[in-house]
Amino acid sequence: MEFLSALDLIYFVLVLSGTLIGIIFGAIPGMTATMAVAVCLPLTYALDLNHGLALLLGLYVGGISGGLVPAILLNIPGTPSSITTTFDGFPMTQKGEGERALKIGIVSSLFGGLFSAAVLFFFAPLLADFAIKFSFVEKFLIIFLALTVIASLSSNLLMGLFSALIGIWLSLIGTYSVEHGGNGDTRLMFGFMQEYLYDGFSLLPVLIGLFGVAHILEEAEKGIHEATKDMQLSLQKGARFSVGVFRNQKINLIRSSFLGTFIGLLPGVGGSAASVLSYTQEKNFSKHPERMGKGAPEGVIASEAANNGLTGGALIPLLSLGIPGDSTTAVLIGAFTLQGIQVGPLFIGENVATWNTMMVGLVAANFMMFLVMFFAIKYIAKVVMVPKYVLYPIIMMMCVVGAYAINYGVMFDVWTLLLFGVGGYLASKFGIEVAPLVIGFILGGQAEVYFVKSLESFGTLTIFFTKSPIAMVLWVFIFISIGFSIYQAVKARRLKQAGKGEEA
Amino acid sequence: MKKTMIGIALATCGIFGLASATASADTSFPNNLRIVIGSKSTGGDTYQNTAIVAEALARKLGINVKVDAVGGSTAFNTISRVSNGSVIMMFHDQAYLGYLYGQKGYENPFEAYRIGPSVAINPGNAYLVSKNSPYKNVEELMTACAGGTDIRVAIQPGGVSEIGYSAMKNAIRIQHPGREGCLVAVNRGSQSDKNQAMFDGLADLINGSVQANEQYTRLPADDQKAMRFVWLTAGNATIQQANPEGMGETTREMLLQYVDPNVSVTQDGSRNFTFDKEFFFLFNKEMDQKLVDELDQALTEIFAEGQIQQTQKRSFFIPDFRPSAESEAYFRDKAAQYEVILKSLQ
Repeated sequence: MEFLSALDLIYFVLVLSGTLIGIIFGAIPGMTATMAVAVCLPLTYALDLNHGLALLLGLYVGGISGGLVPAILLNIPGTPSSITTTFDGFPMTQKGEGERALKIGIVSSLFGGLFSAAVLFFFAPLLADFAIKFSFVEKFLIIFLALTVIASLSSNLLMGLFSALIGIWLSLIGTYSVEHGGNGDTRLMFGFMQEYLYDGFSLLPVLIGLFGVAHILEEAEKGIHEATKDMQLSLQKGARFSVGVFRNQKINLIRSSFLGTFIGLLPGVGGSAASVLSYTQEKNFSKHPERMGKGAPEGVIASEAANNGLTGGALIPLLSLGIPGDSTTAVLIGAFTLQGIQVGPLFIGENVATWNTMMVGLVAANFMMFLVMFFAIKYIAKVVMVPKYVLYPIIMMMCVVGAYAINYGVMFDVWTLLLFGVGGYLASKFGIEVAPLVIGFILGGQAEVYFVKSLESFGTLTIFFTKSPIAMVLWVFIFISIGFSIYQAVKARRLKQAGKGEEA
Repeated sequence: MKKTMIGIALATCGIFGLASATASADTSFPNNLRIVIGSKSTGGDTYQNTAIVAEALARKLGINVKVDAVGGSTAFNTISRVSNGSVIMMFHDQAYLGYLYGQKGYENPFEAYRIGPSVAINPGNAYLVSKNSPYKNVEELMTACAGGTDIRVAIQPGGVSEIGYSAMKNAIRIQHPGREGCLVAVNRGSQSDKNQAMFDGLADLINGSVQANEQYTRLPADDQKAMRFVWLTAGNATIQQANPEGMGETTREMLLQYVDPNVSVTQDGSRNFTFDKEFFFLFNKEMDQKLVDELDQALTEIFAEGQIQQTQKRSFFIPDFRPSAESEAYFRDKAAQYEVILKSLQ
């Protein structure tokens, strides 16, 4: 019980401060959990390891959770992993159920966070051994599985696939990075662009541009009228939150939390894939898939349980292999190295006190996130009451600041934001679908790296089918996912035709 | 408790932007100095080393010093643009190795920038085999190549990770001419990827580091993840300077088994190849000499005080201070030596 001595009042104050600051970072479009941890990392130099970790774990959980606020209220994913939260969260807000959606999101986040913390505590070393069975081939197939979401997310299948292709194409602009074993040659650009696009388009400015700026431009097109009543969304005219909403969602909650944790423990697959995968699976298994994307609580549950499930999951390879599971834990590893402590396969066994302290911090951060957000939500949700002519310029300013700050002050990221804002606005006029495009953009780069590396390693395409039993199981999931999407599309068309027939 | 309270106060000030610049001492550097590093990782050795130096500099100069992990290409672009001394760069041998290997985004640093003082060595650059590997040491690996067996080495191409591989290839070329082709590079990126190549049986030898891989070397042999050091590229004298405790449970004495002269990778037939990964500053070519002198002076005083050396050694760095002029001459010579090896393999 050596670890109990580290758990003083200051420890919990730091977890709470971290959680609060994290939520603020997560809630501001363009600021992420990763950024929150990176900004505060040097400050941990003045703290001991346990207190430093308390602050950073709070920031991590708070930052991931805070992303749901702008996703639900403003249709802007606060963090990349809350993209799928916008799909149903924002329609709920438009129906006057913003507060309800937020509460559903927060409860799901708490469940996902605690689920993954429990998995981390009981199974970390075991799962780390399982994670190393996933080579490039299996990781490619996981990304491919996540990409199958495109089929079920598109309102027009052909257009959806085309949009996803554009997204993938955009993700390939830049270089096949030297850090991934590539040659670092620039591609898909003219010579004069090399200085700006060497690392490709940054993810977050693209996201905020496509979701936030494009949405503001659409609103601007509609025009601003003097009568402010029309410009505000009513806060709570729709259904109110009750725990009953989770009654039929136990499987969804557990499956999404599990998927979040599982994706988290695979280094290099990333947080966005977790929520995208959970969202697809919920849609595939839902009794009412047609409701998804139009304000269905189960969509918010799937997305939020998964992205908080990621937190514990991503800590598994960090603490059991010394390898960060996602971009935020990659920064978190700095807290250990700054204190001269190496994480690796023996870390937990040799640092039991630190490990236990971290677990308490992680669980405490989840509860604090829940308490802070759940009870502050009625005030946070009031943001939709602000007239749009006041709200949108503020959001626009935050988007620009966030985009500029994301890579420590790169002006081209602001141009990226505006370029994709205008591009997103124009694209919707031509029927290009933003959601598949964004998913293509996020997953395209990873898909390429793992595909190329699989071929480099094994030299044959058949390896994708024959590499391991895990690969074969993943193919089964891929076919089921595609099958379900086709089945649902056919069913929806039949229902539509039947409806038309009855009307006639 | 006092330390904790200071930490909380710092955290609060920093986060809410209330931290005002400390009254500047006698320095021409601006109140807010930014050090960009050639790595995007805040968990790596470049960030860790720079954070140690930045803290000492902030105290000595009485200014705010911030470390930004922006990565190589952005860092080089930034110092190319900014000459007023508000942004300087910290990197390591990759700065010229990237150029020698012809990596995109790397210019000849001795022409494009100004080389500043060196501050530390990371002595941990290592090569490892699986614990079940039939090859016990570097000699056996090179003998296997001499016998025509392919030895696959997982590296990140184009720099520090590759230099040891190039040196082994060069040694095979000298000792067993015509067989150097049997040492085959397996292109990988992160340490995680290199480890995975070994777990998947796709590499016989991987590049790693004492810091990242030491715990793997203590796993039981029946664990798929278990590894064994076969070579540390650092010089014997460098490892001798490490704290006796070494890293983790691997003491300095144990580490010395894996360096020259216990491990022999010949550079030219008469002496062994060694490679110390050294960290140094880079400046804009036009940066005022007065600023360079001030930084040299500040670091001379910091190293004379002796405290920074203890912090560096605690974090498994070897103190390695050289003022700018000496540093530039030293790295020019070092780069020229490695250029000979790389040219001989072309």
